[in-house]
Amino acid sequence: MSETALEGAFTPSVLHRATVVCGRVALLLAKRVLMLFVLLAVVFAAIQLLPGDAASATSDRGESAADIAARRHQLGLDRPVWIRFWEWITALPTGNLGTSARGQRVTDLLSAPFPNTILLGGTAFALTVVAALALGCWAAARPGGVVDRVIGLASTAAFALPEFVVSVGLLLALSLWTGWLPAATTTSADGSPASWTMLVMPVLALAVPQTGWNTRVVRAALTDQAKAPHVEAAHLDGLPSRRILLRHQLPGALPAIATGIATSTGMLLGGAVVVETLFNYPGIGTVLAGAIGDRDTPVIAGVVACAGAVISLVLLLADLIRARTLGARP
Amino acid sequence: MSTTATVLSQPRPRSWPRILPRVAPGLLLTLFGLLGPLLAPHALDQPITAPYAAPDGSAVLGGDQLGRDVLSRLLHGGGALIGSALAVALIVTALATVLGCFAVLSPTLGRWAERTADIAILLPPVLGVMLIALAWPGGGRLAVIAAAIALGTPYAVRVIASAAAPLTASGFIEAATASGEHLSHLALRELLPNLRSTVLALFGLRFVEAVYVISMAGFLQLGPQPPAADWALMIRENAPGILLNPWAVVAPSIAIGLLAVSVNLAADALAPTTAGRAVTTR
Repeated sequence: MSETALEGAFTPSVLHRATVVCGRVALLLAKRVLMLFVLLAVVFAAIQLLPGDAASATSDRGESAADIAARRHQLGLDRPVWIRFWEWITALPTGNLGTSARGQRVTDLLSAPFPNTILLGGTAFALTVVAALALGCWAAARPGGVVDRVIGLASTAAFALPEFVVSVGLLLALSLWTGWLPAATTTSADGSPASWTMLVMPVLALAVPQTGWNTRVVRAALTDQAKAPHVEAAHLDGLPSRRILLRHQLPGALPAIATGIATSTGMLLGGAVVVETLFNYPGIGTVLAGAIGDRDTPVIAGVVACAGAVISLVLLLADLIRARTLGARP
Repeated sequence: MSTTATVLSQPRPRSWPRILPRVAPGLLLTLFGLLGPLLAPHALDQPITAPYAAPDGSAVLGGDQLGRDVLSRLLHGGGALIGSALAVALIVTALATVLGCFAVLSPTLGRWAERTADIAILLPPVLGVMLIALAWPGGGRLAVIAAAIALGTPYAVRVIASAAAPLTASGFIEAATASGEHLSHLALRELLPNLRSTVLALFGLRFVEAVYVISMAGFLQLGPQPPAADWALMIRENAPGILLNPWAVVAPSIAIGLLAVSVNLAADALAPTTAGRAVTTR
C-alpha cells in the first residue's frame, strides 16, 4: 500500500476524531474557567461589601482621616467595585495579581512560598492517590473479610481527624520521642526547605486524613462495579479474582475515583495552610496569616485565585478521565 | 459534570442493639464536653504553676504557657467547640434537607444547586473561613459558625438531592404530582419523611465536618480569642512548650481526635442501610 493511499484512508477520520476530542476538551476547560471566574467574582464582591478596607487596616496610629483617604485614593479603592474587579481579573492571566495593601506586588509575595506549598500539597496528593488505591483495592479484594473491616474502620477514623491533630501525633512519635526527624522546618538560602526530611511529617499529616476519605471512595466505587454484568460474567468465566478486580472492576470505577480524589485537592491545600503553621514550613500559610492581620484583601484574593486555579486544574483532569472512560463505553 | 461521592456506608442489617455501642462513645463524649466546666478543679484563667510546669499533685496535666491548669482548661475548652459544631450541623442539615427536597423536584432549582456546589468546591474551607472571619472583624465564634454553614450547605444539598432523586420516580410521588399537589407539599410532606436515615447520617457527617472546620479556625486563631479556653487554641498556644510539658498539647489533641473519631463512627453506624449506589455518578 502506498503512502498516499494510507493518507486517503485515514486522514479524514483521524482529523474528525481529533476535532471531536479537542472540542470536548475545550468545552470542559471552558466550563471550569467559567466556574473559577464566578467564584472569583463572588469572593471579590464579598470582600468589597465588608466594613473597613486595607487603607484603614494598615494605617498607623495617629493618621488623620485625610491621610487614610489619600491612601485609599493611592490604592485605587475610591473607584467603583466593578472597574477594579475588571482590572484585577483581566490582569490575572498575565501573572499580575495586583498590589498588596503595603504596596508590594502580590505576585512577588507569593512567588517564593507558593511553589513550596505546591510541593507539599502535590507530594501529599501523590501519596494519597497511591495509598487510597492500594488500600481500597486490598479491602475490596475480599468484601466483608477481616482486612476489609479493619481498613473500613481505620479509614473512617482517619478522615475525621483534623490535620493538626495528626501533626501533633507525628511530632511526638517521630521527633520528640525517637528523634528521627527535625520538628521544625529550616530553610536554605533560596527559601525552600533545607532538607527533604522536613517534608516527611507535613506530608504525612496531610495525607493521612485524605487517604482515609479516598480509601472509602475507592472501596465504594469498586463495590458498585462488582455488580456490573461484565464483572459477573468474568466471575462465571472463572477468572482469578485479583485479575477481575484490577482489569474489570477498577477501569469502570476510575471516573468515580478520579472525581472523589480530585475533590480532596481543596482539603489538601486548606490543610497545608494549617500544617505549615505548626511545622514552621515556608509556604503560603505564613503569608496568609500576615495578610489576615492587615486585612490585605489583594493578597487573600490572590491566594484564593491561585488555589482555585490549582483545584480547577485537578478537577479538569478528573473530567478528562471521566470523559475518556465514559466516552469509550457509551 | 457532577459526580457526587456520597460515601455513606455499605448495606448492612440495622438494629438498635447493633448501633447503640457505636453511637454511645460519641454521645457520651459530647455530653462530657458540654458538662466539663462543672468538673474543673481550678479557675480557667488563674496561673497556679510555673509556665509549662510538668504534671504534679495539684495540676494533674501540668501547666500551660502561662502556668494555668491544663486539666481545667481542657474541661472548659470543649463545650463551645461542641456546641457550635452541633449548631452548624443542625442548621446545615435542616437547610440542606429542605433545599435538597425542592432541588430534586424543580429542575431549575436543581441546576442552581449543582452549579453552586461545583463553584463552592473551588474554595478550600480554610480560605473560606479566613475570608468570612476577615469580613466580620470581632465576629469571633459567630463568624466561624456563619462560615461553616455557608461553606457546608452546597455540598449537603447535593447529598440530599442525590438520595432523593430515586424517590421522585417512585409511584407515590407521581401519584401526588398527578393529583396536582403543590411543590412544597411534595417536597415537605411526601419526600422528606422518606429521607430520615439519609438526614440522620448527613447530620453525623456534618457534625464531624463542623468540628473539623471550627477547630481548624480555632487553631488559626480566627474564632475564640485568648484567654478563652478552646482545645484547638490550646494546641496552638502551647506548641512552643511541647518539650517542657507535652500534655498541654497532647491532651487537647487527644480530646479533638477522640471527639472527631467517635462522632464519625456514630455517623457511620447511623448511615442508611439501603444506600443503594454508594457513589452516585451522573
